[in-house]
Amino acid sequence: MTDSAIETEGLTKIFRTRWNKREVRAVDGISLRVARGTTFGLLGPNGAGKTTFVKMLLSATHPTSGRAKIFGEDSRHPKARLPIGYLPENHRFPTYLTGAGMLDFYASLSGMPSKERRARIPELMEKVGLDKWGAIRLGKYSKGMLQRVGLAQALMHSPTLLVLDEPSDGVDPIGRKQIRDILHELEEKGVTIFLNSHLLVEVELFCRDVAIIHHGKVAVEGAVHELTLGSGYKVEAENVPEQLETELRGRARGVARRNGSLQLTFATREEANAALDQLRSAHCEIENLSRTTSTLEEVFVKTVESAQTLEAANAGKQ
Amino acid sequence: MRANSSIASLALVRDTFREAFARKIFWAFFGCSTALILFFVFIMRVDVVEGALATASIFGKSGPAQSVEKMVAGVHAVIANFIYSIGMCLAVFASAGLISAVFEPGRIELLLSNPVTRYHILLGRYVGNVLVVACNLFYLILAIWIIFGIKTQVWHAGFLFAGLSSLFVFSVLLTVSLLAGVLWESAAVSIIATFGVMVISLIVSAKSTWERLLSSEWSRDIVRGMYYALPRIFDIGRINNNMITNQPVTDWAAVWTTAAFGAVMLGASLYFFARRDF
Repeated sequence: MTDSAIETEGLTKIFRTRWNKREVRAVDGISLRVARGTTFGLLGPNGAGKTTFVKMLLSATHPTSGRAKIFGEDSRHPKARLPIGYLPENHRFPTYLTGAGMLDFYASLSGMPSKERRARIPELMEKVGLDKWGAIRLGKYSKGMLQRVGLAQALMHSPTLLVLDEPSDGVDPIGRKQIRDILHELEEKGVTIFLNSHLLVEVELFCRDVAIIHHGKVAVEGAVHELTLGSGYKVEAENVPEQLETELRGRARGVARRNGSLQLTFATREEANAALDQLRSAHCEIENLSRTTSTLEEVFVKTVESAQTLEAANAGKQ
Repeated sequence: MRANSSIASLALVRDTFREAFARKIFWAFFGCSTALILFFVFIMRVDVVEGALATASIFGKSGPAQSVEKMVAGVHAVIANFIYSIGMCLAVFASAGLISAVFEPGRIELLLSNPVTRYHILLGRYVGNVLVVACNLFYLILAIWIIFGIKTQVWHAGFLFAGLSSLFVFSVLLTVSLLAGVLWESAAVSIIATFGVMVISLIVSAKSTWERLLSSEWSRDIVRGMYYALPRIFDIGRINNNMITNQPVTDWAAVWTTAAFGAVMLGASLYFFARRDF
């Protein structure tokens, strides 16, 4: 049994215009591994190739080259899609179906027997907070409700890999929290969750691993806590004598005052240790010593900007 | 859990019916058929005395006396031709939307993400569509056949054959809608393409006349080629009439060439659908 839920090797998609055969590389040789049971976030600016990548995993789009595997099975085979639950972005569920009817239809396509479907539908409708809406046509649902019933649809056949494209799009904060809770519950059960979202805070809150793609290529990949870990050190102290404060300010990368405490940020561990020694000698109270962190948004912006700079430099060379 | 293809197939067919119900397509056909059936139940009065038609009246007006068999065959032929021409056009018009709806962005991706093959999805929609029309068609044909049988004691199976052949031609024409839907994802283009095939087929059905009128051999070859390549709607209509009026059918080639056309169109639809990116 493979320990990868998703594994891609040089996955590439080139779209060609019909008449002048102009090429657009939507996905450019992405090799990615998503471990079984993890929560993985795929990030990238608009047009980076995220949705095309997801569509190739699901075989809705055929790769120009490269391959993708789902739990070790070639993604082109229908069997590979059996463990997948999918909620697409900009979905258009048939409005003539009721909420329960829609769940029934898509679960049937997964080969789920009627008896199991009948038992699972009310259970999931309740879970997503739509227990009274099962018999109402989807045409009457709000956008947030459609997202929630869409999530229920993706969960109908108890998938082991959940692929969610902008799952909380149009959902209010309470609904968003509800979705997050459901996903956490699934995560605890060992379901691999692959999230494609623009909401960086949401990804940071929920995902263990992320990949940032830019112009069809993976720009950065790794664990969220490692990527957001800054390179500096933060020292927080109280009762710092004025003379020492002036001296340390000159060496620190950043200085701030919060609730009477002095916060100093140093670029290296050696600088932080030297400052600590001085503060101790001056009998100052040390409140905190920690590594600096960045938000995922900062990492994202930095990654995209440096990718753009690199591209511009390469273009200049050519 | 193992993907059960029969559950998936049934779901795809049932979904087509649901959409036909929701779009009122099914009910529109059902309403028209019911109106026609009620017309024959309540308006038409037939008195048969010792196997011959004594009086027959519609809206209380009597027609000339004639043999029951001849009268029933005549009415059957009128109804069968009506279904074969007007009914067929309505069915093609109504079905095109059911095919192209599947390819809507946001809907097709979700369908394809399921553990079913693309062939399965397309064939499920196609078969569902044929069955929607079949239900309405046989409801009308069987009801009229039974009404006439009860009123005249003439149980003529040729009329039932007309229902089958209409369904056959519809299922062939639907493959044109299917291919156009796969290639262009547009109900309008599907309708235009299908009616285009119908019109050209009717034009080239007068093959012998064109052969006399056209001066060059290559233009005659084109007409001949189109005559054999396209569905032979007119010729199958003639076979229908022969069956209803108890005349012998000597040439069944029209059925085989039309079936071959349908098979090629269906194969092309499946081929292009399997290769497409969504």
